[in-house]
Amino acid sequence: MADLRVKQPKGVKLDHISKIYKDPKTGKDFYAVHDVDLTIEPGTFVTLLGPSGCGKTTTLRMIAGFESPDEGEIYLGGEPINALTPNKRDTAMVFQSYALFPHYNVFDNVAYGLRLRKVDKEEIKRRVTDILALVELSGMEQRMTNQLSGGQQQRVALARALVVEPGVLLFDEPLSNLDAKLRVQMRTEIRRIQQALGITAIYVTHDQSEAMSISDNIILMKGGVIAQMGSPTEIYYRPNSEFVADFIGECNFLKGPISDVSMGEACVNVGGVDVPVATDKSVRVGDPGEIVLRPEAIAIADTGLLPCKVELSCFMGSYQNYHVRVGDTLVKITDNCPINKKIFHVGDNAYISFDKNCAHLL
Amino acid sequence: MQQTASRKGGLELSMLWKVFGGILFVYLFLGFMVLPCLNTLTSIFATKDAAGNADPLAVVRFFFAGNMPSFVINSLKLAVCLVVTVNVVGISIVLLTEYFDIKGAKILRLGYMTTLIYSGVALVTGYQFLYDSNGMLTQWLIQVFPGMNKQWFTGFSAVLFTMTFACTSNHALFLRNAIRGIDYNTVEAARNLGAKPFKVLLKVVMPTLLPTLFSLTVMTFITGLCAMSAPTLLGYNSINPEIVRLAGSSAADEAFPQARAALLSIILALFTIVLLTTLNHYEKKGHYLSVSKTKAKLVKQKIQNPVWNVVAHVYAYVLFLIYMTPVVMIVLFAFQNWPAIRAKSLNVSSWTLINFFGTQDYSYTTSRGKQRVREGVISGVFSNADTVGGIRLSFILSALAAALACVIVVIAVNYIFKHRNKKRAAIVEACLLFPWLLPTILICYSFRIFFNNDVWYVLGKNLYYRENVRFLIVMAYTVVKLPFALRMVKAAFYAIDDELEDAARNLGASSLVTFLRVKLPIVLPSVLAVFALNFNALFTEYDMSATFHSSYGKSYAMVIQSMTAEEGRDGYNMNGSGRRCASTVFIMVISGLILYLVYGVGARDLGERLERRKKRRERWAKLTGKAKAA
Repeated sequence: MADLRVKQPKGVKLDHISKIYKDPKTGKDFYAVHDVDLTIEPGTFVTLLGPSGCGKTTTLRMIAGFESPDEGEIYLGGEPINALTPNKRDTAMVFQSYALFPHYNVFDNVAYGLRLRKVDKEEIKRRVTDILALVELSGMEQRMTNQLSGGQQQRVALARALVVEPGVLLFDEPLSNLDAKLRVQMRTEIRRIQQALGITAIYVTHDQSEAMSISDNIILMKGGVIAQMGSPTEIYYRPNSEFVADFIGECNFLKGPISDVSMGEACVNVGGVDVPVATDKSVRVGDPGEIVLRPEAIAIADTGLLPCKVELSCFMGSYQNYHVRVGDTLVKITDNCPINKKIFHVGDNAYISFDKNCAHLL
Repeated sequence: MQQTASRKGGLELSMLWKVFGGILFVYLFLGFMVLPCLNTLTSIFATKDAAGNADPLAVVRFFFAGNMPSFVINSLKLAVCLVVTVNVVGISIVLLTEYFDIKGAKILRLGYMTTLIYSGVALVTGYQFLYDSNGMLTQWLIQVFPGMNKQWFTGFSAVLFTMTFACTSNHALFLRNAIRGIDYNTVEAARNLGAKPFKVLLKVVMPTLLPTLFSLTVMTFITGLCAMSAPTLLGYNSINPEIVRLAGSSAADEAFPQARAALLSIILALFTIVLLTTLNHYEKKGHYLSVSKTKAKLVKQKIQNPVWNVVAHVYAYVLFLIYMTPVVMIVLFAFQNWPAIRAKSLNVSSWTLINFFGTQDYSYTTSRGKQRVREGVISGVFSNADTVGGIRLSFILSALAAALACVIVVIAVNYIFKHRNKKRAAIVEACLLFPWLLPTILICYSFRIFFNNDVWYVLGKNLYYRENVRFLIVMAYTVVKLPFALRMVKAAFYAIDDELEDAARNLGASSLVTFLRVKLPIVLPSVLAVFALNFNALFTEYDMSATFHSSYGKSYAMVIQSMTAEEGRDGYNMNGSGRRCASTVFIMVISGLILYLVYGVGARDLGERLERRKKRRERWAKLTGKAKAA
């Protein structure tokens, strides 16, 4: 890997920030981002995840300085930056459309930020060459941006942001214009480079698999507020709401009253059957209960915990996909590696079961 | 703390620039658009009777009592007839070259498009060269029909004929694009469902062209209403020539000429505003857009009926002859000497470049029988002091105005885009589109009358006085070209990805640096194209030049007009026809070059341009390599 100097990465703190917009149709004000309060540690890779209109891009643009918060304060490396214009902030952004300057070649695009900082010509040449080597674009310095593939354009955008050695690197859905295969390849690359340089990165996406694979921490947003923050495993296995559970991967919900509570465990009565689930929540008998179950955590067999009827059975290669009816509830099952297992067909009666530690009580 | 101080300083400076820019914009808008036009409007009601008492409605009474309505009626008559003839010819030429399978369509298209490079005063004088009382065709016709009226090419029919062919260039451009945008599958579907070819044309093709045709019709109507060069040169009493005549008249000659001119120009403005509002309203309804994701290219339709096929071919080539004859004749005669032009006979032995370069003496016999020689009076375009002066003046004024319009519009559009969805951006845009609502003649007439006094906000100067008129012409040219420049530059700004600006700012560029180094280079090709098109239009423009006509502001168009005067008597205006032909060739070359650069080179995408640049460099490297080796 090229020898790159890495500046001290900076932490970001959003101190109860809000952004208010006017609805063009009704003329009324509404919160695009409401009371977002979080701290991002230096050198970590944090993803802002959520559906369209949840406020993730607005939050990122407030950090970059393209929008200014109507309430709250943003700190970069401990310094308040609300009053600074975008060009005065120690951030660099990789845009969704890459935003490569069409009238510059690859070298000039990457060198743009350095020239603005009046870096010595020789130094610019060295740093651009190094960064292009890092993103595996050596030898393409003279190419115009329209002579590059989508993946190469993406790398130029990344190199342009990295070369100025920002305290924080910002990504605004940078992979959404790439095809599926390239997207997987590029996100691995981005993660590799971020870890190699130890830079703080804030990444916006609506793709939950991208967020899971790339992040140290995920901030899931909904309607301008944070729905849940945590590591990918925490968010996946311990969602704090139906929205979070449903947004991150596929999910089943089994509902019923709490029938029994013991140390670190509770039972939910689902269609007359007591279903045990591990939990550290303080719940009482009689409370409404909802179990979150991932499809891959459920097993289907001739015997088990809950009786069901198969409504869909579909071979998907690496797994068998089932839709089964448990009482009134439709349950999705991903039965991995089905080659040596019994295959159930539509209309068959079966049983489902799962490990109580793989289930989560909302 | 230091940072806060520098930021404060930066803010103050940018605020200062904003205030300065705002004041300048308001000054230009009020001073060079609103006040002169307002003055024209109020001057209608500022008339006085013989006793010197105010009589606000005198000119209105005069309008209904005198012959003034005839100018309005004449203009309306011309506009209505022009709509019919231009649409008939315009639709014909587009269908013949794009829809029907006519042999030699490519050549025909070239002929029909000659009006793109050959228009305005050059076209009118070109037609005169062929058709007026001394015209080549008229001379030939008189030989065949000795009893015919040699003045046949004057008045309404001459204006209508000339303008019909001059105004089809919009059809050639826009209707052609519209017909090319038709999804051929719709034609095939109609045929498949049992429609006959003519039915398909009428019920499938034409309806999709209707929105474009409507826009072209309105534009043609306005062109007819505001016609200037053709009525002036061919003798037809319409509104515009009358306004110019009245503007140069004095109260000693006739009753309140200025107020009458103002009334006529306001009438013209009212018509224009109504028509443009209608057009705008109609355009808002939107055009028919094909929803096809796999649009098929239009295939030319063969006319199955042999009789109709022959008729269509004959019609196509007759039109081609009408379009091409003046062009070919003028090009050929541009290289013939004076006696050959006078005799209207083409001769290889009369071949010369004198119409372009050099001078010759002219000898003639006076009425008393004396032989006289006038030295160097037979001169070419680039040797005749008057013509060179006109070219130089038009070149400088047009270039200045085109550049000024571009600068104003680029700065304004940048502001508009920065503050889009805000009222102030909408106001700036409306101010720049303001001249679009007003006929050119109203703006120029208003300038001429208003600035023909010492005006306090232009340093107390009279801008119509001596050399000052050149500044006035530049300002009028600029104002008139602002709406077009705005529409084109705005379209170019739309092409800039918003994230480019954000990226530049994020990388550390200030607003000014972002504008100069990111946005401007991207829109520069479009801005240069707007500059070139505006320059092209202004370089030979006639209407404004005629309004501002003075010995200090004699533009190229006015010089060309003066070439149509009688030649040869006592050596006066010698070789005017030769210079007129050469001028037309010169204008065609300039226009052709500009259109090639704008629509030919400029239309290529970046990749194509880079590819060509690479090839050029390779060729150059090869050449220099060979030279070094040698």
